[in-house]
Order: sequence, then C-alpha cells, then structure tokens
Amino acid sequence: MKILKLIATLLHYPEQAPAEYRNACLEVLQEDTLLSAESKQRLAAYVDGMADADLMDLQSRYVETFDRGRAVSLHLFEHVHGESRDRGQAMVDLLDVYRSHGMEVALSELPDYLPLFLEFLSILEPEEIVSWLQEVAHILQVLHLRLSERGSPYAVLFEPLLELGELEPASEVLREQIKAEPRDDTPEAIDEAWAEEPVSFAGMPGGACGSQSDGQVKVVQWGTRARPRVRRTPKETHYGLHQPIPIRVLPVYCSGGVRHREHCPL
Amino acid sequence: MSQILKRLTYFKREQTAFAGDHGVLTTDDRRWEDAYRQRWQHDKVVRSTHGVNCTGSCSWKIYVKNGLVTWEVQQTDYPRTRPDMPNHEPRGCPRGASYSWYLYSANRVKYPMIRGRLLDLWRKAKAKHKDPVAAWGAIVEDPAQAKEYKSKRGMGGFVRADWEEANELIAAANVYTVKKYGPDRVAGFSPIPAMSMISYAAGTRYLSLLGGTCLSFYDWYCDLPPSSPQVWGEQTDVPEAADWYNSTYIMMWGSNVPQTRTPDAHFMTEVRYRGTKTVVVTPDYAEVTKFADIWLHPKQGTDAALAMAMGHVILREWHLDGVSDYFDDYVRRYTDMPMLVRLERRNGRLIPGRYLRASDFADALAQKNNPEWKTVAVEEGGERIVLPQGSIGFRWGEEQQGVGKWNLESKDARDGSEVKLQLSLIDSRDDVVAVAFPYFGGGRQASQHWLHTDHEEILERNVPVRKLTLANGEEALVATVFDLQCANYGLDRGLGGANVAASFDDDIPYTPAWQERITGVPRDRVITVARQFAENAHKTHGKSMVIIGASMNHWYHMDMNYRGVINMLMMCGCVGQSGGGWAHYVGQEKLRPQTGWLPLAFALDWARPPRQMNSTSFFYLHTNQWRYEKLQVQEILSPLADPKDFPGSLLDYNVRAERMGWLPSAPQLSRNPLEICREAEAAGMDPKDYVVQSLKDGSLQFASEDPDGPNNYPRNMFIWRSNLLGASGKGHEYFLKYFMGAESQHGVLGLDLGKDEAAVKPEEVRWRDKPVEGKLDLMVTLDFRMSTTCMYSDIVLPTATWYEKDDLNTSDMHPFIHPLSKAVDPAWESRSDWDIYKGVARKFSELAVGHLGVEKDIVTLPILHDSPAELAQALEVKEWKKGECEPIPGKTMPTLAVVERDYPNTFRKFSSLGPLLDKLGNGGKGITWNTEEEVHKLGQLNRTVDTEGVGHGRPRIDTPIDACETILMLAPETNGEVAVKAWKALSKITGRDHAHLALPKEEEKIRFRDLVAQPRKIISSPTWSGLESEHVSYNAGYTNVHELIPWRTLSGRQQFYQDHPWMRGFGEELCVYKPPVDTKTIAPIKGHHPNGNPEITLNFLTPHQKWGIHSTYTDNLIMLTLSRGGPIIWISEADAKRAQIEDNDWIEAYNVNGAITARAVVSQRIPEGVAMMYHAQEKLVHTPGSEMTGRRGGIHNSVTRTVLKPTHMIGGYAQLSWGFNYYGTVGSNRDEFILVRRMDKVDWLGSAPQHILKKLEGEQ
Repeated sequence: MKILKLIATLLHYPEQAPAEYRNACLEVLQEDTLLSAESKQRLAAYVDGMADADLMDLQSRYVETFDRGRAVSLHLFEHVHGESRDRGQAMVDLLDVYRSHGMEVALSELPDYLPLFLEFLSILEPEEIVSWLQEVAHILQVLHLRLSERGSPYAVLFEPLLELGELEPASEVLREQIKAEPRDDTPEAIDEAWAEEPVSFAGMPGGACGSQSDGQVKVVQWGTRARPRVRRTPKETHYGLHQPIPIRVLPVYCSGGVRHREHCPL
Repeated sequence: MSQILKRLTYFKREQTAFAGDHGVLTTDDRRWEDAYRQRWQHDKVVRSTHGVNCTGSCSWKIYVKNGLVTWEVQQTDYPRTRPDMPNHEPRGCPRGASYSWYLYSANRVKYPMIRGRLLDLWRKAKAKHKDPVAAWGAIVEDPAQAKEYKSKRGMGGFVRADWEEANELIAAANVYTVKKYGPDRVAGFSPIPAMSMISYAAGTRYLSLLGGTCLSFYDWYCDLPPSSPQVWGEQTDVPEAADWYNSTYIMMWGSNVPQTRTPDAHFMTEVRYRGTKTVVVTPDYAEVTKFADIWLHPKQGTDAALAMAMGHVILREWHLDGVSDYFDDYVRRYTDMPMLVRLERRNGRLIPGRYLRASDFADALAQKNNPEWKTVAVEEGGERIVLPQGSIGFRWGEEQQGVGKWNLESKDARDGSEVKLQLSLIDSRDDVVAVAFPYFGGGRQASQHWLHTDHEEILERNVPVRKLTLANGEEALVATVFDLQCANYGLDRGLGGANVAASFDDDIPYTPAWQERITGVPRDRVITVARQFAENAHKTHGKSMVIIGASMNHWYHMDMNYRGVINMLMMCGCVGQSGGGWAHYVGQEKLRPQTGWLPLAFALDWARPPRQMNSTSFFYLHTNQWRYEKLQVQEILSPLADPKDFPGSLLDYNVRAERMGWLPSAPQLSRNPLEICREAEAAGMDPKDYVVQSLKDGSLQFASEDPDGPNNYPRNMFIWRSNLLGASGKGHEYFLKYFMGAESQHGVLGLDLGKDEAAVKPEEVRWRDKPVEGKLDLMVTLDFRMSTTCMYSDIVLPTATWYEKDDLNTSDMHPFIHPLSKAVDPAWESRSDWDIYKGVARKFSELAVGHLGVEKDIVTLPILHDSPAELAQALEVKEWKKGECEPIPGKTMPTLAVVERDYPNTFRKFSSLGPLLDKLGNGGKGITWNTEEEVHKLGQLNRTVDTEGVGHGRPRIDTPIDACETILMLAPETNGEVAVKAWKALSKITGRDHAHLALPKEEEKIRFRDLVAQPRKIISSPTWSGLESEHVSYNAGYTNVHELIPWRTLSGRQQFYQDHPWMRGFGEELCVYKPPVDTKTIAPIKGHHPNGNPEITLNFLTPHQKWGIHSTYTDNLIMLTLSRGGPIIWISEADAKRAQIEDNDWIEAYNVNGAITARAVVSQRIPEGVAMMYHAQEKLVHTPGSEMTGRRGGIHNSVTRTVLKPTHMIGGYAQLSWGFNYYGTVGSNRDEFILVRRMDKVDWLGSAPQHILKKLEGEQ
C-alpha cells in the first residue's frame, strides 16, 4: 500500500528538499483508492505546505519534535515499555515478525521505529494491515492527540493511519469522556500528581516511631494519589503491543483518556 | 484358564481420569510453552560495566539476542578474595540495573547534531569560500554572524548532520584556531579517565598532538583533597573496599556509604557481624546513620573542630599522660613529629617558622647534594643533631653518592648509624618559650551563620626549645613538630603559661568542652569516640579506619577538616596498616595501569610535554567569575601574618603562581606560541631565551594578566564523557553568560566589581569595562544523551554507550581491572569516542595542509611534582616580575620547552605508537625505565603500520582494542616484566630491594580478552603505595610502612607540619579550626523582589544522590519515578514552618549568582538552617521559570560561584608542586548561602501543553 510508504517517508527526517519529491507524493495520493477524499486533501495540503518550506527549518522542527523527549517518540515501544527491560525482548519479537516475512532491517534503526514499521506494513495484504494498525491503535491515537495538542503539523500524518486502521481519531464519545476528566496539565493537577503523602505508622502495635497505639491494628498505607489512570481492556495479541502505557510520574506524559475504539469501558 | 495371555504385562492403559475423576490427562499441543521457555534464550552474553563516573566498576552480564540488548544481570565470577574474607560480589545497584534501557531511550542522541543557525551560516560560508578553514574564519571574525549563533545557544534549533559535515566543521574550526590564535586556545574537558580510559584518551591524544589544553577534573569537582598532597605527597591513594573488612573500628565521616558506594557497602555491614564498631559523623540523618553504633551530628562545616577535640584527647591520653608504645614508635619513624622547626620572631612574638635544614649548619651536615631539602632531628636522649634518611633531598641527584638513601630506615644519612629520633625536647630543653598560634574560631571575618567563641585571635603557649648556632652565626630556637603540635592542640604539659588545658572540661581551644559551642556535639561523646578509636588502634596496631566523604572536602577550608581527621589517623599509627587509614573514595577513582595509559592519553610517544591545566583556575578566569569576587585575602589571612606581605585579590595570587611556575596557565602566553617561535627565529634567538627576555621586558605576558584581551581566552572546546554545565560547573550562570554568550538564558543577578565603587579590583590583571560574552567560538559535546551541556553546545556528537564499545575500567574500590565490551554495535549513527576523535583527527590532518605544516610550539610547563624540578624554591618566595630574582625557567618560572608539531600528520600519529617511548623510556611518579622491549612486543601483538608516513613500522593503535593492548602492555600493573623493572628502578633510589614484590608475577601478562573472560587483579607496582597480594588487602601507605619507601614529601614522612611561607601566612602550618567563609551573596538581593511569601536564609549543601550517578539517570524515568520526578530541595521542618512551605510546594532558591526552581521535600532528616539539593539534577526535566530571573530555573550550581584559595596555588616546593589532578585550586561550594521562599506562581514559560480539548475545539 503506497500510501503507507508515503506516510513513512513523510515521518522520516527530511534529508532532501521536499520540493524534489512533492510530485511523487501527490501522484501516490491521486492513485490511492482507500483514503477518504477529505484525508487526501489534508495530506496533499501538508505536502504542499512542506514543499514551500526551508529544508533546515523543517529539519530543526523535526528534531525539536521527535528527537527530544519521549511524549511523541516515533519508537513504538517507548510508549509501551519505556525504559523497562521488556523493551529488548519486544524488539526481538518484532524483528522476528519482519524476518518471517523475509525482511531484514537495512538501516541502523530500531525495529519499532514507526516509519520502518509502516514501510513493513506497506508490503502486506490489506486485511493484515488493518489488523496491525489496530494492534498499535492506541499508540497512534496517543501520538495523534499529543501532536494535535502541541499544534504540530505532523498530527495530520496520523489521521490517514487511523482511518486505514478503521479507527476513529476522537469520537464524540471519546471527547465527551475526555471532557469529563480532570485536566492534568494545570499546575494544581501536576502538584497533585506529584504529591507524596506520608506513611503513617500510627496505631501500629509496638508503637513504631513512638506514636500512641490505640490498640487497633491498622494497615499501613501509602496515601493514594489523585492521578489520571489509564484503564484498558487487554486485547489478545502475541506481540505485547497491547500492554498499557505505564503510569508515569511526569504528568506531561500521562495523557489519560486515549482509548481503542472497540474498547471503551468508561 | 489363566488370564496370563489376556492381561497386559508390559503396558497399562492410558488413564484419562485420575484422582477420582478430579484430574484429567490431556494431550494438547504444548508448543505455547515455547513462549516463556524461549523468553530467556539469547545469542550471547557479554561482560561490561557502567563507566564514566561511578566508582562501582561492577561486572554485568549483558544478554544479547538478534543484535539487541535484551536484559542484564550482575556477574558473579570475580576472583575470590582469600579465606576468612567475604567475596566481592554481587556488585551492582538499581542505577546500573536500569542502565541498558538508556540504550534505546528516546532521550538518546542518535545523530550528529548541529545548531541550525550555525549550520546555515556554515553552508553559506562554504558556498562563498572553497576552503573550509577560510569559511570558518569568515563566520567567527564577523561579529554579527558570531553573535547570531552564539546568542542562540541553549535555545534548541538543532538539526541532524552527517559525520562528514560535522567533522569538517570541527576540523576547520580547530585548524583556524590553532593557526590564528594558537593551539593552546583549543581546550578539552573530560573527567575520571579510570572509568573508560580509552574514551578519555581518544580526546586527550588528539588535543595533545595539536598542542591543545587538557583540563583537569578532580580539583574542579572539589573532590580532590589538597590535604592529601600536603600530608603525603600523594593524591588519593586509599584502601580497597574489601579492606573495610579488616578494620575493627570504622568511622564513616560525612560518607553516605550505602547510598553512594552501594556495591561495596556489604563489606561494612558484614564486618559489623564480626564485632567491628561503627561510628557515623553526619550533620543530617543520612542513610548511613542507621548503621551507626554511635552517631555524632556536628553542625555542618565544623568537622575540623570535632576532629581537633578528638586529637586533643588522643594526644593527652596516648602520647602524654599514657603512652602507647606502638603509637610512639610509629610517629617517630613515619611522621615528621621528631623533625625540628625554627622559631621566627615577628612583631615581638615567636612564631613557628620553617623546618630546620642541613643547609642551616656550618658544614651543611656534610651534604653537597640538596642540603636545603634535607630536614633535621635530634637523637633520642642525646644532644646530637642527626640527619635522617629519606627526606626529599635524598630523592634527587644522589646518583653520585653511591647507594640510595631515600628510605625510612632509622639511620643517620651521614654515617649509616642506627638512630632513634627524639620526639620531644621537654626533657632536654634549653628553654621554654611562648609561641604564638593563630585562632580563627573567634569568627572575626567568618560567616556569621556559625557560632564562634570569644577566645583571642592570637594564642601564646609555652613550648620547650633547644638553642642552636647556625651557619650564619645566628642563634636559633628550634622545637620539634611534636612539641609544637601539643601546644597547638592546647595541651597543658606542666610548662606553665596560658591557653592550655589540663582538663577536657576547660574551655580552651581545642578541648572537647571548647568544641561543644561550635559543633553542638556533647563533650562526653567526643571523648568516648576518641578514646575508643585510639584504644582500638593501639591494641590492633592501626586497624582504626575513617571512611571520609568528599562533602567535607567541599568547604572552603576543606584542608582543615581533612587534616584534622588525618592527624587522628597518624597519631594512632593507622595509615599504611591493613584495616586502617584514610578512605576517601571520590573523584579520581584510581587509574590503575596509569603509566601504561599516560603515553597513549597525552601522546607522550610523539611529543612531550603535553599541555595540562587546572580547571578551577581556568574556569574562574574564563567564565569571568573573578569579576564578582567578594572574598578579600585579608579575611582569610593569619592574624600572625604581616598583611603587607600578602597584597591583592585572589586572582592576583593565581597570576603570581602562574608566573612563578607554581600553577599552569591556559592559554599560556599573550600571543600564539607558534607565532612566538617564528618571532624568535626572526630575531635569531632560541625561543626559550626569547620568551624569557620578552617576559622580562614586558613585551610578552601571561594570557591571564589580561583575560578579556582578544587573544587571551579559549576559542574551541571539546567536552566528552561529561556534563560540565549540568553537573560540575560551579557558577553555572557565569558559564552561560561569558563562556557561551547565551545572553537571553543566563540568570546572573549580581553586579560585577566594575559597578561597585568600593570594590577592590585585582592589581596584577587588566580590568576591562566591557568583558567578552561568548568566548567560545565552538563548543562540541560528545554524549549519548541530550544533557544540559548538550543543550548549550554548537555540535553534539552521538557516542556509543557502555555496552557498545571496547574499553577499560578500574576503580579504587576493588583491585580488578575490568573491560567495557561491545555487546552490540553502536545504535543509530553513534560511534565510540575513539572512533569519533579518529575521524576528527583524519579530517584535521587533511584540512591542515596549506595552513599548518611542521611547526615549532613553545610550551610553558609548571614545576612538576615527582620531577627533579620539584626542588625549586627552597626557603623563600621570590618573584622575578617584581625583580626579586631572575626569571630562570624551571626554577623561578615555568619550564619552557619547544615542541615540534607535524599538523598534517596528526592522524598518522594518532593511530600509531610513536618513537619517544623507545628513546626516553616510560615511567611515572619519579621513576623511569626502559620500555623498548614492550614497544617491540606490542608491534608483534597489534602489528605494525604498513602504510608510508611517520607511523611506518610503528605499532598500530587503530581500534579501541589496540589502544587497550597498548596500555596493558606498557603498564607495570598488567605486565609483570614491567613491574619488576619498575621496582628495580625504585630500588636504585631507595637503596633497598623491592623487586621481590613483583618477581612471582614476572611472567604474568594481562590482555584485553583475559579481562573479558574475567576481571583480573592487577600486579603490585611502585606507582601505588599498597600491595596486591594474597596476604593483605590493598591499603594505601602500606609499602611506605612495610617497605620503608618514603612518602613523597619534603621530610619524606607524613607531615603534620606545613612550612611553606604561604601556608604559614594563612595560618595552616598546623591544623586549626577555621569556620566557613562569608561569600556575601545574600545581602545585595535579600528583600529586593518580594513575592508575598517569607524569605529565609539557608546554607546550601549538594550531596550525592540516591537515584543517579551525578546527572546520569536524573533524566531516566525509572529513577525519576523512584524519586519525585524532578528537581527537589530538602529542608527541615522548622525552616519549612518559618517560610510557610509545605512538602512538595514549588520553591525558589536564589542569591546573587542565580536562581533554582524546585520542589520542597520537608523532612526530619535535615537539620535546621540547611537546604540540601542533590548534586546534578538536570534542568531538562520539569524546571519551571524563576520569579527572580524571569528565565528557566537553573541547576544546583546556579547559586554557586568558584572561590580560590591561595594555599592551593603553592608550587615548586616538594610535595606542594603542581601535578595534573594532584594539587591545585579547587572549586569549593559548601560555604554558600541561599534565600528560599515559596513560589507564588509556577510559570512553565510557554512549555505547558495547551489542553487537548481547547485545541480540538479551537479547530472546529
């Protein structure tokens, strides 16, 4: 599916002036039969807009957006495993998938690099593509929402992916749900997310810390944190991509309310 | 009929149900189990470690599958220790365990990055100029263009570049700078070579071939204890962690062992089960306190007072009233206690002067060689003056005198007769005189935040003396160091007079009662600990140990804190004894195969000497921190000194020290050294003579005499393996302002001396009203993560991580040499440091053609420790600049050397081992040996260069493994044959046989692959003062005590006494208590910008943290999650209440140096009056804007500023001679105060995300 290859290319670091491949891009868009006209139009506008820009500006924008920080990292497992040790194995598994299709990674890139992954998808059958896109749906949604949130033009590139994967970017239901959620980016919310309530040993038998025992055995508890939690229904897959995004301390990274279309438990 | 044929004999029917139908047998496909069975399969396991800045050097197994790192676990195959000792493993900690996931982190620097503005200028300039060197010149010489990219530093805008383009830009900048301004204007900073020594060497080898400046780190970090060279002539030689297990009394003084030395802490916890007592001294309730049998918590910064009171008890009970035969023998033989000191008369008082020397006597005690450098004592019970062997005069130039006498045998050097030295003159005195000692505890000029006592600032105490007639006919009064020491500690010996105490309860410096007011520690606990410490040492012959934390070394008067403690150890005979001594584990971490590494690292195989610089003075000068100096010399001078002898400001002392050859300087002279050589040639003079003459007539200066002059500051800077701006950069905001020129980023709040009428400006240095902002034309950082330093750099080069390169690692904590090995190829575009510098060197060589050829370069070299030159200025301080003496290179000014640079051949030299090793030999610490054999063998091992050019036929150093083999082949620690040669070389000087220490291992040769198979224990070498043996654990000073090798000090012994005129001028001839200094950073700003919340003043401490190793891991989510997720400052409950701060509130900490924004951690751990911010939390993660500066909050060093101390500049004087990372100015920071208040408004400066809904709605 050439459209995936196109998006992969547009998501890669701009190495040559976009004007040079603008026409090739537009041709692919014209030939494509799967995307909605509206999507195509938006993509075409993106390509046009890019072609007029200065290459170095684009490069700098790309680096600012993708080469720094995690929130919109283009490495899929960054959003699933982060820096946990499971990441190594997950990448090994993904590499095996590529190999089972007779593909070797040719660049010095990690197997979970999204453009690379999309290029892989572009050679698959349409039904397989949908299935794979659904597998990574929540990541695509997260990236799409976070990029939109930042007002980044790259957000547009995720819309066709959601569409092809028969996923909705932000349904009315989802928006309503998000609306109902407390905001997590206000100073108050960040404060709250960071709050660490003290452990209380009061009431412990033996009077730990010299506190007065009232004779009652109480369970020692950490104070609960008011923090947005991401709840998910696991979907049976064997590549671990379904695993929830770990709750992270840094609130900018915990954008709650991102759901797979089919699994809206709220 | 029998059933026999109907029954199954050999089979039974498969049962599908069992256990009463509760169980059912099925035969389902079990392939699903492969999922977890294969989970732990892997292709290979590789040994590596984590190495720039952690002392652990822990062995880890890295599991690799399909070319990807999948997980890691601690390795457990260390060589065993020996019976009755626990083994080393497992080593490792949560930080290391979370490391491998940096490898694939989104924070990884993946491609070479260049700031877009600069790259744009570069491409345009290149389009205009065909020659890249000319293109660079066109950019930096155009003020508008230069400002365009410099002012954007720290503001992002990076784009990816390819290696070719990045290398070309860097090489062009280097060629241009070397040509136009001089090679010493190219500088590089990288710390702690012990951890990944090849990566370190890559950069310094390149710089040294250029003639660039390599900057020190240990002193700059302030982990370097100047007390160590002062007392021992050695820098940080310490017991390995396993030796803790041999101790029976451990004091952990300011060292948070379980938190900061995690993999080694087990030796401490284990030995407690054997009955070892543990005493902890920390002002806060640190993690280590839970291991304490006794916890003392003195007021922070008053450790010297505590140590002095303990010393008072020890001297009283074990040296005067009661005598330990062991201590008595030890201090006579191994310390300067019996040495004689002359008393001087000043302003009608007698004060301690310099050591008596052989040269003071009519016949110079029959010494022709160095009589001015030989100390003198009196024979026990007799009248006879004796000349003990082993003083530094015997170390150099004795070849003509027959058998070496530089040893600690108890002999008179003149006739070899056995002699016991007299400790005290009390029984054979000619007189008792009042000697004046300075007292600083009255706090005359100190910070008023500490408690002071009301004793006089000059204390006279009676001392027994002898009268001697000297060569000049003068009658001199002399006393032993022991007697002066007893008087200094305020001990009443029945000699009458004032200011001495007969009882511990007398309020007289330095009794246990006296210290109570200053430290807050009850006197009975001080007495208890001192008694136990000494009693244990007496019974075990020295098994009392102090594990000391560098936090104590970060105070301005760190020398006093440390010497106070070291004195206790020396009085009790603990140094050099197994299980005893001084254990200081920070900073330099012991590069074990040092003498094999030095030629590689500083290109000594091609050219000598290299340019090395002490960073503290360098940064103080070039980041213009001196322009804000408020500490006056008069505030720290001894009340006994004549202020007229000590004029000027702190920087003046540094400049004088440079001119007198005491300290190095960089850039060195006020013109391009290549140019100077050309001028000399034109004048028909030897460049050395030309420089001396030009300096004398004033036509040439030291660059530091006009630091803002256009040719007098560094232009290009490499930073690698380091986060200079995010971690160690004291005066962070000054760096941003002056070094980087990040004009819209810095937060300097104070005014410089130019704006203050009353301010005292330096007298040796030209003051320019408009200082340079943005001194660096190019700053290149090599890193694997986007650190704070990278953010401000022009070019960021992606390096291989610790699992992606081959390298070597050693630590002072354990005796093994350990590899870093390449488990996987460097990810993305990253390369190992070795390959990166090789690439730059190659490009540099290409671009140099036509600009630089074979050039002559004049190098100034300070008078170095462990070289014959260290006997330079014996009796007085004389300045040639003031006409007090002639400028004589290597004697009264720096040594001058003309070095040939062959610039187009830089790469060829970089990648082959040069011929100077064959010609000049190899060595270290004053010993030299022939090493032709090793060079030959290395050629066979690495093969020789077969391409034409300068390197032809020389051993190859192409790959990092070649570089490793070079070190391993040349170093005595890893090549038994070299070890034997080295010991024999030492034997010539000492006159004693030492080769027996290495002979059993003569055939042992450690190769890189041996280390990969298993970490190896090194071979004993004279570079170090301990032994690697099957009988004792490594302990510093062991060979001094047991092999009678002198300490490398003036007296050849451990020195309680420091007799240099500057030491005496600043009142540090003997250890005293000095309260913290007043840095004056609060008053100008207090109450000036109110935000409605109360402001409180707190002392600012920056200890090492739990969830990071310096700044590494402070951007790692796992570690951040375990902590609070961003910058935090700890304060006490009482202070929090005062400032109406609640736990987790956003607070701001600030003073004239800058501001920090962080969360408050309100904790009972912290004593009142203190704020504690863990060292090096990155400003990349969660740092809001400051209400004070209006800019992003800074790092911990935003509120600090470097302040120099003159005594650290002393040089040309035996052990007080400069050496790289050995002695010199240090960047102290603990005396600093901050204002703290709750923030009113947390402003994320536009980086706060717009809420998603707003955005979405906005679009509709």
